Amino acid sequence: MAAARQAAGLYVHVPFCRHRCGYCDFNVLTGHDASLRETYVAALRQRLGQVAADGWPAMASVFIGGGTPTQLTAGQLGTVLGAAREQLWLREDAEVTVEANPEDLDAAFAEGLAAAGVNRVSLGAQSFDAGVLSFLDRLHDPATVPAAVRALRAAGIAELGLDLIYGTPGETAGSWAETLRAALALEPTHVSCYALTLSPGTPYWRQVTLGQRSAPDDDLAGDRMQAADEALTAAGYERYETSNWALPGSRCRHNLATWAGGDYLGVGAGAHSHRQGRRWWERRATHAWLRGVDAGDPVGGGEQVSPEQQRTERALTGLRTVEGVARSDLAPVDERACRDLVRAGLVIDDGEVLRPTRAGLAQADALVRALLA
Amino acid sequence: MAFSIEQIRNFAIIAHIDHGKSTLADRMLQHTHLVDDRTMRDQYLDRMDLERERGITIKAQAVRMPYTSDLDGQDYLLNLIDTPGHVDFTYEVSRAMNSCEGAVLLVDASQGMQAQTIANLYVAIEAGLEIIPVLNKTDLPAARPEAVAIEVAGLLGGDPEDVLRVSAKTGEGVAEVLERIVADVPPPKGDRDAPTRALIFDSEYDAYRGVIPYVRVVDGVLRPRQEIRLMATGFHNEIDDLAVISPEVKPIAELGPGEVGLLSASIKAVDQARVGDTITDHRHPAEGPLPGYREPTPMVFCGLYPVDSDDFPDLRDALDRLRLNDASFTYEPETSAALGFGFRCGFLGLLHMEIIRERLDREYDIELVTTAPNVRYEVELEERLRKPDEDSVLHLSNPAEFPEPNRIAEIREPVVDAMIVCPSEHVGTVMQLCEHRRGEMRSMEYLTEERVELRYLLPLAEIIFDFFDKLKSGTRGYASLDYEHAGLRTSDLVRCDIMLNYETIDAFSQIVHRDHAYEYGKAMVNKLRELIPRQMFDVPIQASIGSRVIARETVRAKRKDVLAKCYGGDVTRKRKLLEKQKEGKKRAKQVGAVEVPQEAFVAALSVDRT
Repeated sequence: MAAARQAAGLYVHVPFCRHRCGYCDFNVLTGHDASLRETYVAALRQRLGQVAADGWPAMASVFIGGGTPTQLTAGQLGTVLGAAREQLWLREDAEVTVEANPEDLDAAFAEGLAAAGVNRVSLGAQSFDAGVLSFLDRLHDPATVPAAVRALRAAGIAELGLDLIYGTPGETAGSWAETLRAALALEPTHVSCYALTLSPGTPYWRQVTLGQRSAPDDDLAGDRMQAADEALTAAGYERYETSNWALPGSRCRHNLATWAGGDYLGVGAGAHSHRQGRRWWERRATHAWLRGVDAGDPVGGGEQVSPEQQRTERALTGLRTVEGVARSDLAPVDERACRDLVRAGLVIDDGEVLRPTRAGLAQADALVRALLA
Repeated sequence: MAFSIEQIRNFAIIAHIDHGKSTLADRMLQHTHLVDDRTMRDQYLDRMDLERERGITIKAQAVRMPYTSDLDGQDYLLNLIDTPGHVDFTYEVSRAMNSCEGAVLLVDASQGMQAQTIANLYVAIEAGLEIIPVLNKTDLPAARPEAVAIEVAGLLGGDPEDVLRVSAKTGEGVAEVLERIVADVPPPKGDRDAPTRALIFDSEYDAYRGVIPYVRVVDGVLRPRQEIRLMATGFHNEIDDLAVISPEVKPIAELGPGEVGLLSASIKAVDQARVGDTITDHRHPAEGPLPGYREPTPMVFCGLYPVDSDDFPDLRDALDRLRLNDASFTYEPETSAALGFGFRCGFLGLLHMEIIRERLDREYDIELVTTAPNVRYEVELEERLRKPDEDSVLHLSNPAEFPEPNRIAEIREPVVDAMIVCPSEHVGTVMQLCEHRRGEMRSMEYLTEERVELRYLLPLAEIIFDFFDKLKSGTRGYASLDYEHAGLRTSDLVRCDIMLNYETIDAFSQIVHRDHAYEYGKAMVNKLRELIPRQMFDVPIQASIGSRVIARETVRAKRKDVLAKCYGGDVTRKRKLLEKQKEGKKRAKQVGAVEVPQEAFVAALSVDRT
């Protein structure tokens, strides 16, 4: 916590996507043109200038997420990062991550990113199973992933994460194992494995509701998660959060700080910020956000997190990580439930900190419900 | 209009549910021109929504019908005393019967006599009432009036020809019934000059005027401003208002011997004016009360707990208020490790329990968890293991309070004299059911060739769960049941405990016969396995007697319970999702880390025991 207070993280949201995938409920915008993207980049620069007045501490990390950040050009991403360096205090050793779609990454793009100071790329590989990719409406060919990895390596970007999705209907234990094998063959420094989630309002959700597609199965997802954990552990990766594994020294510092309750500044449509117990968010709709920046304030809402809510948030994010949560942050703990969980091998209790076990990480939400008295 | 005592006819209607009592009463109201066709509605006398919905009478009613005979042209005053029609309210029925001189025995011409009708008929005969047998629904295709008339006449020792036939629905024959009442039911006897004695046969509660007793004057008179005393409770006060129902409430200047009406005297609680008590004049009291007063005794008990523990004070207030108009249920605070703070409540019977529950839900809007009903046991303790401050005999209505098995010398349980009437082809099924429920056969009598009356001594505990449903389904709905309490019997009973994740859940403990314990335990753990959602870890469910486990099942753990992604720093959204889940969890009960849904607590109710 102390370290988190000294430094902060910067999150930049890029809402653009080529199209909306059927399962996605993120804040994205499709059907945009080059001029809108240009306008958006200009607005980000302007916004960074506005927030500079708030006196943020040094930024230990930058994370450009989306949407699809690589819908912007490498040059535009460079412009945004440049503005961040001008307006805020970016530490020399800052971790600078960009989320990327593999089909956008050629050698030139990769070199552009490296030149802009990007030192970590998180690649949306999702799967190496063409059937799964098609179910997910992902447009890329699995073969584009190795090419993208090669381009990034050639450009000198060493920290390479691959994002994978499991639990898609049609996926088999064999095809998931194959995806994991293919991912590991690329020797990423970091792997995130997410269960396919059915989000209300998405096209996928509508299809499930109409009985046209089947919903993800939690038990099956549990099996896949375990298979991933076993394969990744065997390959030398350490699990540090419910959905994240990394080689030693390659954990995502930006996310770690966020989960630990640290401060972060978010700019861009729908971006969330947190500072000393206060949360706020910028307007979600891109055009509304653009108008807001123009008028000097794109903030859409906010809240002062009450101590009780802070406790819930600590539990929610902390119990997903191997570091766990200090008992003092959770108090009062339901001790009877805690004893049950320790006995069931889901939680380790050293009297100071409650840490989820591997099995516990798969049930983190349930742990929170049970432990908060 | 004042009536002399010779003009008065007080009568009740004895009928089984759905045999048409309320419809006949409706027709009488119309035929005596008390209610015109325009203002008529079905079940005119049943006032509670609950009564209309369920087609049953819970509270007694007394309606005053002036009537001019078509035969002799004379004026009469008919008082119809409508009684509740359920075994839970036998005592109330007997008090109402004691307020009458005659009774119409109303029998469905296709279904024949039912156990409850027979039981109430015996109450009426015991009270010395003139019985007027009437067949209803004679116009229906399935009617077999001849056979049923023979059955009825056989029971009454009369001539089948004397059994009247009506269709309460169309009104046909109703005039004849009224004439027969005038002709056969004797006028009341009573001494106008003697000290006042009036019987309370029911009461209702009015938020403004307090308890309103329904009374039948036996001797003397009642007048507004008269100072009265209730002989059993000692309560005394001045009569504020005196009234009759005809068919709406009308004030009246005097009620003389034989008359029926209601009064208000600023009686604050039903405890002060109980059914069966005698009202007398405070200054010139009668020498003794009318016979037959009894304190209400609850027979069936269950725990009532608020779903949301914050509702506990509201539940207490609601029970306090319900108690104001129902003196026959009891409640005491208790705590359960599983359910928190609640009350152990006592009821006259299962229907009574359901009614109270439903009224709490409807009138007070409190969501409740109800534990499985049970009876009150007498537990005699082993003398040498008795603690110094302990009584040698405990009266326990909560299984969780039972002492350790080795400390118990003997357990006695309440038993009932049950009467079951069923078609002879189903006798085998009924006997099987009764034997399985530990019944001892007392007698078996053929009412006619097709219909049998069986009498069994049965443990009350065995009939408060699903006995009636089983009886009905085993006889295609033809059997009927009535019972009266018959004291206590020593039985080989044990407490069966249920453990969830190795912890005993007090609210699940139940007293069962040793021979049935295994079967019961197995059924319970199976049922709970279905009802308890999968948790984070395997949850064993065990049934045990003392420390011996007799049945076991396991609820298998979920493989995953976590949202995959916590993205973009939007912690607010995730927190709100969890807060919503926690709201849902509030409705379930937490046992350690195990969430137990409310439904599980009434699981015992639906455990198939046959």
